[in-house]
Amino acid sequence: MATQIEDRSKSEEESRTLPTGEKEFFLDVHTSDLEVNFGPQHPATHGVMRILMRADGELITGAQPHLGYLHRCAEKIGESVEWLQYLPYTDRYDYLAAMNNNLGYSMAVEALMPGLVIPRRAEMIRTICAELNRIGSHLIAFGTYGLDIGAFTPFFYAFREREWMMALFEKICGARLTYSYIRIGGVFNDAPPGWLEEVARFCDVFEEKWKEYVDLLVMNQIFVKRTANVGVIPREMALDFGLTGPMLRGSGVDFDLRRDLPYSLYGEMLRDKAFDVIVGKGEKGTLGDCWDRTWCRVFEMMESIKIVRWCLERIEPGPVLGDIPKVLRIPPGEAYVGIENPRGELGHYVVSDGGKVGVRVRVRGPSFTNVAVLEELLPGALIADAIAIIGSTDVVIGETDR
Amino acid sequence: MDFQGIHDRLRAVRAPGLLGVDEPRAAVPGAKHGETKDAGRGGDPFVLIDPQRIVEFLHVCRDEDRLRFELLVDLTATDPKAEEPNLWINLNLLSVERRQRLAVKALLPKSALSMPSSTPIYRAAQWHERECAEMYGITFVGHPDPRHILLPDDWIGYPLRKDYVFPKEYHGISCE
Repeated sequence: MATQIEDRSKSEEESRTLPTGEKEFFLDVHTSDLEVNFGPQHPATHGVMRILMRADGELITGAQPHLGYLHRCAEKIGESVEWLQYLPYTDRYDYLAAMNNNLGYSMAVEALMPGLVIPRRAEMIRTICAELNRIGSHLIAFGTYGLDIGAFTPFFYAFREREWMMALFEKICGARLTYSYIRIGGVFNDAPPGWLEEVARFCDVFEEKWKEYVDLLVMNQIFVKRTANVGVIPREMALDFGLTGPMLRGSGVDFDLRRDLPYSLYGEMLRDKAFDVIVGKGEKGTLGDCWDRTWCRVFEMMESIKIVRWCLERIEPGPVLGDIPKVLRIPPGEAYVGIENPRGELGHYVVSDGGKVGVRVRVRGPSFTNVAVLEELLPGALIADAIAIIGSTDVVIGETDR
Repeated sequence: MDFQGIHDRLRAVRAPGLLGVDEPRAAVPGAKHGETKDAGRGGDPFVLIDPQRIVEFLHVCRDEDRLRFELLVDLTATDPKAEEPNLWINLNLLSVERRQRLAVKALLPKSALSMPSSTPIYRAAQWHERECAEMYGITFVGHPDPRHILLPDDWIGYPLRKDYVFPKEYHGISCE
């Protein structure tokens, strides 16, 4: 770091008179601001994001996220390929929650098809898959967050359960990350024999293992010291920046699309009071700090387990795909459908003119808006806390850049 | 509140720039495919506004007691057709307190792609507008940081416009 020593001995304010009558001058050491490029190839950016930070000693005075390293023109592709062909591209924006992306896109296109009926079994399987994927995504968020700030062990615990979750998805659709399983009109195929029983077993085992996460990381004194009172997002700021998902709930805003604007089967679950919405309380520090956001994610996993169990109790045999022609022509219209992804609201705005190819497929990724808050959050924090703050936003670069 | 209620409320408080409303309608039986008149449309209802008065309109939406749209979920544009004279500006507002959504649309002529920035009302608009500007060539007057966001700084053309011509090469890299 470049230092420069300014000789200020001439200035009167920088001196004091000693009791002996002599004058003492101070030689103040000023360090110049340093620009630090954080990323794009840094493990803690969870992908390829570059943050240009300006630091005065240990204090961050400015931060400028630079995106676009993973821009794959998803929206332009959406205007060039047929409706069904676009589905695999949805897997690739938030690659940790591909089932949820499939669901969001399918629901947006289905909103333009008034006569289409989604079979009930398909809705059930969709919900089970989306919630299992939410657990998997939160496991990554929680595991890698520990890894970022120096806790190595929870990462392996998280990946152990995630491995089983991915094996379950491999059994139902053949893929481990990019599923393309939930599709327009229902799901691609029925669950194989014994799959639902295995999901039930997964829920039982996960419930036991989950308690370990809370002890191991969330309530760990070292972890609490690193994250409590760090990166505080007040309620007003969260709303102003359009944050959604655990970022918003971590700031104490009691809002979840699954409960407040229910879609799919969530309205029915609500009547049964099948799940709760986890909202940050500022238990270990200030409301809206990094700890609250992590706490929300970890406790949301258990709510997802409740939802999966609710579905497993009620699922019945039946068809899994609605009446969908081979070549899909979507009636003209435009619709916006937002669903609750693990990271927040995933919105799809689709416009059709009645043809085989979309006029507009807009993707509103939750990470895109959640990262914008870093511009405001990082200045004033310490360099050592920067990793803790970035990790707590749970960013997936595939989604910010699309 | 449902869409009708929100629209009535916007009328009652004389929301500035409110032009009208467009609701989905069923196709007229026997209408030929491709007929825009009476062809019907599916999906969501939305309100139409004047793009030049968007700041005042959003101000009412955010602060009016029964609307309370605290969250700007999405701001984007759409180029419906190459020969269409207007671009659409699409906004999606969400109220956490009232648990309601509102889709807003404005028509911006392609000959004068300039409108005020919504950042004074919602800071969420800042990145959405940067994306919109580079993809469609819209100038948001008063935007605090009008740089490219996803594309390289020296990118030529507006990729999501329907009349976009794909480049043959980029810095000596052939794209064919």
